Amino acid sequence: MPGANTLLHVRDLTISYGGEPVLERASLSVGEGSFVSLVGPSGSGKSSLLRAVIGLQQPLSGAAETTLSHAEIGLLFQDDALLPWKTARDNVVLGLTLNGMERGKALVEADTWLERLGLAGFGDRFPRHLSGGQRKRVALAQVLARRPKLILMDEPFASLDAIVRSRVIRDVVALVEQSGISVLLVTHDLEEALTLSDDVYLLSQGPRARITQHYHVPIPRPRDPVLSRTDPAFAPLYERLWADLSRAVDHRAEAA
Amino acid sequence: MLDPRYAWLRRLIALALVLALWEAAGRAGWLNPLFAPSPSKVWVALVDLFADGRIWPHLEATFSAALGGLALGIVVGVLLGVAAALIPLVAELLEPVMSVLNAIPRVILAPLFVIWLGIGIASKVALSFILVAVLIFFTVYTGIRQVDRKLVERVVTLGGNRLALVQHVYLPSVTAWVLGNLKVAVGFAFTGACVGEFVAATHGLGYLLSFAQSTYNAALMFALILLILVVVMLIFVIAGRLERHLLRWN
Repeated sequence: MPGANTLLHVRDLTISYGGEPVLERASLSVGEGSFVSLVGPSGSGKSSLLRAVIGLQQPLSGAAETTLSHAEIGLLFQDDALLPWKTARDNVVLGLTLNGMERGKALVEADTWLERLGLAGFGDRFPRHLSGGQRKRVALAQVLARRPKLILMDEPFASLDAIVRSRVIRDVVALVEQSGISVLLVTHDLEEALTLSDDVYLLSQGPRARITQHYHVPIPRPRDPVLSRTDPAFAPLYERLWADLSRAVDHRAEAA
Repeated sequence: MLDPRYAWLRRLIALALVLALWEAAGRAGWLNPLFAPSPSKVWVALVDLFADGRIWPHLEATFSAALGGLALGIVVGVLLGVAAALIPLVAELLEPVMSVLNAIPRVILAPLFVIWLGIGIASKVALSFILVAVLIFFTVYTGIRQVDRKLVERVVTLGGNRLALVQHVYLPSVTAWVLGNLKVAVGFAFTGACVGEFVAATHGLGYLLSFAQSTYNAALMFALILLILVVVMLIFVIAGRLERHLLRWN
């Protein structure tokens, strides 16, 4: 089991979809209150690792050990995956009632979170009648309202345009920092990984992708994701990460 | 450039022109009234049906059979479709039967239903039912199997069990698919009722059609066809409104 301050420990995880493993012997840890990113090229099994942690994917070997219950882990997908026939409010309510909360209380809680995420007055709208950024915020409210201790994020900002993306990211960082929630973020965006995270793990090119590097990001908190790029620690780390990633991809290309 | 706002007006004028030409051709003696009675004669036949009140028991019989078959067909079609989509054994047993029923023109079962259930309303309900149930079964069965996996995973990761999945994902999806096919189902239900009455009955619009045919009363036949058309169109409008209201999220 994970140590005292470790919420999630992924140990020697190997994932295969029948043939050659996409991901091999991946190990990483997420501590209490820490923001961890897993970066790597497409096809390196980043999303598969998250799916294995939440139980949607059976690993070939290894395990994802956690001290948390299922209800204490939130998941934010790349697609907002809101139920289209439920209003924004009811989507948030669903996350709470499935957790055992009484509906009346869940309605109040849902409105509080929607308001907190800048969606006051949008509760009665169906997802189709919301913008991409608003839908993402509803999905975020759905996850945060459950008061998780760990959120798994699978490229949650990829589908948003630049301005909306930076605003949503800023809100996410603020909320996560205030509430001390731990995050495991999967992304292929190195800049995003460095500006948001305390620790970054680098995956090599798949198949048989492995975690090849682990970087600690010493940018102080609280952070502004935009201004973090100007921190003296950012540029050298970015260059190192970029060089390591390029090497991993080139090495695989040569091997092929 | 045609203004799309006035499409209905152009269609109405075109229909009026066709009817006027038809009426003129009838009065001029160019059309044999035995085969093509003029619109005015059809109208008189239609008014007569209502004037002496004899249409009501027939309308009641057809409506009862069609709506009974429609309701039963939707309920059974949905239940079997959900069961087949969620339980592999049910799918294994049902799919071949439903595929055969889907492949054949199901109205050929009408004489069989008369033998089994008599010439009363039951045989007409049965025919409407079988027409609707097979349609709804495939709508629901294929629909559930194609449900967005992301939504299923979303509810699962929020802690939802199988019941929650049925309640929050499958049933709303099924409602959307059934409503999307409601107009076709209504058409099928009335087809079943009328064909059933056509084969053997003592009441109903299909029975009246059969009577008009056997007495070579073309005016009555046109009047009945017009009546069925209007009735089904009215139900289409109601079904369309219901669909728009219940699928307002879409």
